[in-house]
Amino acid sequence: MNNNFFSEKTAVILGLGELRVGTCPMGTIGLGSCIALILHDQRQSFGGLAHIMLPESRGNRDRPGKFADTAIYTLLQEMEGGGSTVSAITASVIGGASMFEYSANSLNIGERNIVAVKDLLGDVGIRIAYEETGGRVGRSVYYWPEKKGRLIIKRADGTCVEFS
Amino acid sequence: MELDLFQADALRELGNIGAAHAATSLSQMLMSPIDMTVPEVQVVDIADMHNYIGNEIAAIVVFQIQGEVADGGYIVVSMPQETVIRLTNLMLGTTGVDREINEMDQSAAIEIGNIMISAFLDATAELLEIVMLPSPPALAIDMAHAAFESIIAQMAGDVNDILIFNTELTSEAPPIYGGIYMLPKPELMQQLFTLLDDLMTSTA
Repeated sequence: MNNNFFSEKTAVILGLGELRVGTCPMGTIGLGSCIALILHDQRQSFGGLAHIMLPESRGNRDRPGKFADTAIYTLLQEMEGGGSTVSAITASVIGGASMFEYSANSLNIGERNIVAVKDLLGDVGIRIAYEETGGRVGRSVYYWPEKKGRLIIKRADGTCVEFS
Repeated sequence: MELDLFQADALRELGNIGAAHAATSLSQMLMSPIDMTVPEVQVVDIADMHNYIGNEIAAIVVFQIQGEVADGGYIVVSMPQETVIRLTNLMLGTTGVDREINEMDQSAAIEIGNIMISAFLDATAELLEIVMLPSPPALAIDMAHAAFESIIAQMAGDVNDILIFNTELTSEAPPIYGGIYMLPKPELMQQLFTLLDDLMTSTA
């Protein structure tokens, strides 16, 4: 799928279960029940994004970005490796929607993802600077670590919000 | 996960029969001819899903595949909003496509999904002499990728790729377009291959 949102050539779109730490612009397209977790270090102008699919890894280690627990620890580890300290890092949590109407079953995993991510952030002592979770709407997220952590969220209903 | 040539062929043929029945039921309902693309069978890494399923707004109707395998995976009908509005108009005798999706459209999308998918599963199950039934449908009108994420999350906890069977149905007049996606879980897939294998050897 073409994505012309980023003009920068270095921009990366992270698919389901992917994770990245760096200075390049990053994004995820069409977040539903998944969560985009962004950890941003304002002092160093860098950060990371994980496209989290499920709350618990239950021993799966091959794709750390896929699960809330492994994603947070891997993001933190890589950022600390790049010189960040926990006290300088803030988090943005976006997604976790319940997409389906008339669905009593397990398709609505979003709520569990939100709880898991927020609990884990609390455990490691990272402040949530911005949160937009839940609801019934798909979202796309774009993040620029170098531009003061600029963040754009585009919702399926066409509305758009921007932070920096 | 990799499919050998036989498996891919067998699955494509099975899906072909199912999709042909879905197309016939749609055609009968609309009283107009429906074209069908040659089905594709692909193994897609979850990280590449966004290259495969776009983020345009669509009506996504989802069914869990039930029957002999309790949780066989999912089957999905995806239609652009204009198609849903056109189908509502056809069923109710109304006109005008330049409007927002309303409750009537949502019911229409679910009903049409139901008819198509019941025909799809009936035909494939009959061929294999097993029972496959759709669960009650769930509907999302949203970015297609966002809707698929919830389905993938149910299937890919322990695996990183998903088998997707996809075929497209179109009609020129009225201009209608729909995609059918079948995402079988490994257990159902294994059962399908065994049954197809038996079928081929018994008729050979």
